[in-house]
Amino acid sequence: MMNQTQLVDRLWLLLISLTLFSAYMAERDTQGFNSILIMALVLAIKGRIIVDHFMELKSAHRLIRTLMRVYYYVIPLMIIAVYLFPEQIAQWTRL
Amino acid sequence: MTTTLTHTPAFAWKSDRKPGHIPGSLAIWAAILAEMSEFAIMFIVYFLGKVHHPQVFSEGPLLLNTTAGTINTLVMLTSSFFMIRAVIAMREDKQASSARWLTGAALLGGVYLVVKLFEYRWNTTHGLSTETNLFYAVYYYVTFNHFLHVGWGTAAIVWVIYRINCGAYNHMEHEGLLNIAVYWHMIDLAWITIFPLLYVIR
Repeated sequence: MMNQTQLVDRLWLLLISLTLFSAYMAERDTQGFNSILIMALVLAIKGRIIVDHFMELKSAHRLIRTLMRVYYYVIPLMIIAVYLFPEQIAQWTRL
Repeated sequence: MTTTLTHTPAFAWKSDRKPGHIPGSLAIWAAILAEMSEFAIMFIVYFLGKVHHPQVFSEGPLLLNTTAGTINTLVMLTSSFFMIRAVIAMREDKQASSARWLTGAALLGGVYLVVKLFEYRWNTTHGLSTETNLFYAVYYYVTFNHFLHVGWGTAAIVWVIYRINCGAYNHMEHEGLLNIAVYWHMIDLAWITIFPLLYVIR
């Protein structure tokens, strides 16, 4: 079984790989729904890794863990929502 | 639902990682949640700008220096990794090793600031400023705010290194280290959100 040091070493490599993948996505000419979905998913994964394993909230107080985890559900979902329904959201938020 | 926050001091290190513990102090978590709320407001402004000015927000990332953004993301993630390694080393009562990991994290904080200053200078030479359009106004507001966080976060890491060198922390008592660790991870979290929103997604 992996100890904590080995686990965070591997998670760091995963985070670096996901970042390089994001940079590749940034350079692509077109960004369709699949690209947006992947980028939202990458953000959700990176956020969850840092919250659970770097901040060590995986087994921490439930309120703090939940608040921090929810952040990385809401922002990726907003990325997808803004891509899918921009006009509707603009209509709802027009002053 | 009633939830009681029970603070477990770091010196009770064998129990501080039991289910329900709080890494660091309650005060630092109040600060972190306030800062995350502040960044959330900025992200809401970004999303509103994107739906009301789709053309401006679609073209904006194309003119930014993606390489600088990517380098700073790698730098922040690595400094965050160094930070958790410093915490693990302290739990093993390896103060010198912990201080070395922290020195690495602080140096990377410095690298982040230098790369960001280079990026701002690069923007200026390419005619990008807060007045170019709404996208760049949001970009400067969000990234400069984050820049300040990295600045004082780096200064706080240097202070904790000094405290370690003074013998203030050991495997039983290292709450100051845990406080800066979770705060630094929060700064990292903010950046990994900023990077896709401003540099990647069009």
